[in-house]
Amino acid sequence: MRNNKSIIIGIGNTGRKDDGLGWLFIDSLKQNATEKMDLAYRYQLQIEDAELICNYDTVIFVDAMKDHLEEGFIFKKCKPSSKYSFSTHALVPETVLQLANDLYQKKLKAHILGIQGYEWDLKIGLSPQAQNNLNKAKAYFFNNILN
Amino acid sequence: MNKIVIDPVTRVEGHGKVTIHLDENNQVKDSFFHIVEFRGFERFIQGHPYWEAPVLVQRLCGICPVSHHLAAAKAIDQIVGLEPKDLSGPAQKIRKLLHFGQIFQSHALHFFYLASPDLLFGFDAAPTKRNVVGVAMQYPELAKKGILMRKFGQEIIKMVAGKRIHGISASPGGVHKKVSAAERDYFLNGKEIPSIDTMIEWSKEIIHFIKVYHSKNAQWMNEFAAYPSGHLGLVNKKNGFLELYDGHLRAIDAHGNITLNDIDNDDYQNYFYEGVEKWSYLKFPYLKHVGKKNGWNRVGPLARLNVCEGISTPLAAFERLAFMAATNEKINNKTMFSHWARLIETLHCAEMMKELLLDDDILSNDLTRRGERRNEGIGIIEAPRGTLIHHYQVDDKDRITRCNLIVSTTHNNEAMNRAVKWVAHNVISGEAKITESMMNQVEVAIRAYDPCLSCATHAMGQMPLEISMYDHLGNLIDHKIS
Repeated sequence: MRNNKSIIIGIGNTGRKDDGLGWLFIDSLKQNATEKMDLAYRYQLQIEDAELICNYDTVIFVDAMKDHLEEGFIFKKCKPSSKYSFSTHALVPETVLQLANDLYQKKLKAHILGIQGYEWDLKIGLSPQAQNNLNKAKAYFFNNILN
Repeated sequence: MNKIVIDPVTRVEGHGKVTIHLDENNQVKDSFFHIVEFRGFERFIQGHPYWEAPVLVQRLCGICPVSHHLAAAKAIDQIVGLEPKDLSGPAQKIRKLLHFGQIFQSHALHFFYLASPDLLFGFDAAPTKRNVVGVAMQYPELAKKGILMRKFGQEIIKMVAGKRIHGISASPGGVHKKVSAAERDYFLNGKEIPSIDTMIEWSKEIIHFIKVYHSKNAQWMNEFAAYPSGHLGLVNKKNGFLELYDGHLRAIDAHGNITLNDIDNDDYQNYFYEGVEKWSYLKFPYLKHVGKKNGWNRVGPLARLNVCEGISTPLAAFERLAFMAATNEKINNKTMFSHWARLIETLHCAEMMKELLLDDDILSNDLTRRGERRNEGIGIIEAPRGTLIHHYQVDDKDRITRCNLIVSTTHNNEAMNRAVKWVAHNVISGEAKITESMMNQVEVAIRAYDPCLSCATHAMGQMPLEISMYDHLGNLIDHKIS
């Protein structure tokens, strides 16, 4: 069993410009962080992640978002839900929570940190706006969540 | 001409698109399974030093990187002067452990995540139910076993290669890391994850499931998307048994006649040719001496069980007998039996992992060898989806000058097109309306091959099913997004 009770999962792909926001956020935690939480990188959430998060009491999913976000990021509660996409290659955080609940009878505190991205081409590196949003999200997280 | 487009095909590894062309009477005129991704690895690896190949080419895929890593490593072994048998015993065994872990997790992924929803819920079930989440909700114990079997294989990969995806184990002439006793115990003692013995038991259980399924659905399994074809795979050099890491290439026709008689890997160029079609980036390999029309072969679990003469592990060998009895010992050209064959291989991999985990050689420091430098290397391996060929040429400055990759899904290109044609002609042709069930049957036929079209890296993780239907004048008359 893991010692930490919290895990932060960065979702995305650094080879797809702003889709790398989730991973880059995790990178920043590695540099600055914390032994309070375990960190994980995912291209996509899959069903086995339900088994993973059952080892924790709290999970935070960090992902790029296309939606317009007033502050450039959003930190919100994540509730279990049987949301389906047609493909099961990738699950949304809500469904992973639901699976953790149904398969393993585990109820967790869960949040989503969404960071707005703008460009998704096959290229490494964030757009300037996404980099700005990442900085704001990190500042919020370090000031309000970690401390 | 009417045209139906299924784009992208779901629950396969990557993106594909199906077009079905109807005439004015809604009869199927022709159909195509297009692969529209273009990767260009053969080209951009040129100029890199040869020792980078096993690391670079595995980036082809997020599902089967280990297979590319090992096929490239076998080729690079030749460049440093070594045949597979020349590697140290520990290096061979550690590589095989990695390989069996990869196939085990990939087969578990395919069956539990991709294929089982079709078998458990049927074609007519709503798409919102007919997926792995639906399986988890309705059959939680089955889903949990699937999750843990996949996890076991991934943990084996992580132990040997450092991480579950895009890890590194092989180096020219061997491997760079041994297995520690503590690492080994993790898989044997069952304290933190279910043990290898549990994996064997669960593999047997799921074979029992498919046998029961077959007994209740024999006609469907016998007939759906079934058609005669050649079969290709590696076989053990000594006894012709199932071989996944290193062996001779053997092919047979639909009746079991030998069309490629146990050739050495180095000779593959003398026998294979890769055809091209303007509507697909994927090539169409075939045996030169048989010809394009009849020289194409299926690869993968069904083909491997057809070409082999036995299986070295006792439990899988026993299950092969029941598999063969289902066709009265004849060559099996029934596409849906791919699932059954895949599960027998899953059991074989579990047995092999146990054998290797119990072998103290994997704890040894005798990891690398060197021979006389060459300028060419060929590595052939059985990936989860079938025969995988890597071929490199290098110059005297160690730079790669030529690379040829024939991946498993490429071998199955013609076979998948035949499967789509079967469904188009037998299910869709003549129908006034295309239903969800019909569309799904096209996908079921393709999914049996577990095609890997290079994925796992979609930008936003969205993959809706989009269906468009056009009349014979090219007007869009129906369009669905699931």
